[in-house]
Amino acid sequence: MTTTMRLAAPRVRLRSVTGIWMRHFVALLRVWRVAMTWFLIEPAFILLAVGFGIGRIVGDFDEAVPYAVFVTPGIIIGSAMFHALFECSWNSYHRIDNRLYETMLTTPLSVSEMAIGEILWATTRALITTVTVGIFAAALGWLDSWTSLGVLLAAIFIGVQFGAMGLIFAALAPNTHSLSLVFTVVATPLYFFSGAFFPISVLPEWAQPFAWAAPLTPGVHLARGFVMGSLDITHLWSVLYMIGLTAVIYPVAVHLLKRRLIK
Amino acid sequence: MNGPPPPACHRRFLLNGTNDAMTQVSERDSNNTSASPGDAVIYVRDLVKKFGSITAVDGLSFSVRGGETYGLLGPNGAGKTSTMRMLSALSPISGGELRVAGLDVTRQGKEVRQVLGVVTQHDGLDTDVTVKQNLELYGYLAGLSRKVASERAAEVLEFFGLSDRGGSEVDELSGGMKRRLAIARALMTRPRVIIMDEPTTGLDPQSRNRVWEELAVLKSTGVTILMSTHYMEEASTLCDRVAIMDHGRMLDEGAPDELVDRHAGSEVAQVRLANGTRDEVISALAGIGYPYREVGALINVNGRNGERPDVSSLNGVRVSYRPSNLEDVFLAITGRELREE
Repeated sequence: MTTTMRLAAPRVRLRSVTGIWMRHFVALLRVWRVAMTWFLIEPAFILLAVGFGIGRIVGDFDEAVPYAVFVTPGIIIGSAMFHALFECSWNSYHRIDNRLYETMLTTPLSVSEMAIGEILWATTRALITTVTVGIFAAALGWLDSWTSLGVLLAAIFIGVQFGAMGLIFAALAPNTHSLSLVFTVVATPLYFFSGAFFPISVLPEWAQPFAWAAPLTPGVHLARGFVMGSLDITHLWSVLYMIGLTAVIYPVAVHLLKRRLIK
Repeated sequence: MNGPPPPACHRRFLLNGTNDAMTQVSERDSNNTSASPGDAVIYVRDLVKKFGSITAVDGLSFSVRGGETYGLLGPNGAGKTSTMRMLSALSPISGGELRVAGLDVTRQGKEVRQVLGVVTQHDGLDTDVTVKQNLELYGYLAGLSRKVASERAAEVLEFFGLSDRGGSEVDELSGGMKRRLAIARALMTRPRVIIMDEPTTGLDPQSRNRVWEELAVLKSTGVTILMSTHYMEEASTLCDRVAIMDHGRMLDEGAPDELVDRHAGSEVAQVRLANGTRDEVISALAGIGYPYREVGALINVNGRNGERPDVSSLNGVRVSYRPSNLEDVFLAITGRELREE
């Protein structure tokens, strides 16, 4: 079988991944009360303000769908993005800066396993906010079908993708000052122009391709397809687009982290 | 000054201590000075590290035998940290050969880190979790079960006299306690080989003494230790052998007292200057040709070829003699001070 192409997948040490995840889980449990304000309270305020306030003005919309039902998956997936991105950019940067990664790397942990562990935790955070805000929205009657559980799938794709993207920023940032650009220049525009709050079709013609290409858009589109029960072939494209983006972003993140940590 | 930690906890630590094979190695070849890769626990040959055009380590070779404590002594920038990072597979080598416990560091980095305990130069503690959780989570990441990690964390905390601080926040600890916690962390996996990068740099003398006492006990359990330091007192109290390093090269190696005999002689003359005599004394010393260095109002004068320096020809000075140390060795070899900060 010498001519068989062997997939050069390096073996992943499971404990490296669970060890990183466990560290974050223990650290989060210590501050869970405060953490609930990030996971639930803040996005819930946005949901209430937009769903009730703007929803009152907008009224029903797009084939008699209440605006609140339209906007709920967008706000949930937006929150998932913020959590994944924040964890892997801001928090990971601090773990580089205070040399916690250096400590972790003295165990049999590789940089790619470290990245996988971080992305797994980022995805966990994306799921926590999705579940808590989702329950809140369901209680308001804004998520009312069983297909809404599909939002979790969208949150997983978004968690992995933005976790990997966050690691790139962490690996590149020279200081926290420049790292804040991740939120002002990347996350906030994505949050507002990825179809979370209004359909991309209302944007000027020239801007629409950019909005469709934005990395948050496929997550919002997929989540909304599940919530509205309107899945079609375009949602498959969204899934493939997110997988494709992650396949490009992840190796770059690992490469940059290695460059920063292994000198 | 802190007393030594209570003997009971030492005994317990020893009972639970490192594996027997390594202790046997140390007994077998404690008199063998030329180690080959076979019997050396740490084997470094022609090691080179380049950062761009800068050569941080320049053809370094040494080996450390089982049970031995070996010190890399040199000023900042001598290449000590680069060497230790390469040995712990945290930094790729630019050339040469590195083996730890029979493993090739460049090819078997993960396995090397499985057997090594590493104390990095910076504590690298986790400020988001408690003192004990720092140890437990590290142990878990290193491969211990959660139960074993918890038991072992209690043990190492006791050994380092930190048992009552297990639930504290890391930021509540003093600098000396943080350093001891970082050393304790490296012991979580009962490593056979321990690499410590400047274990006491930045500590006050009292904390430093305490760490030395604890490291002396650790050493007595038979583990192999490689440490870097720029404190000559640290090297001479803890290390069986020392490599004097400068500019990425080894200048000489040997037991601390051997090195002192070889390069600095047994005693140093301390010449205390009277007012206005400095220039005259300096030019007289230059005439005799002894190496010397000025320390405040004193001039330390080393002998040549291990002899006690003869300074009877100097006029108008008070002379006393003290035993030579590694600082004098460094001066004698390089003509510079070990610590220039």
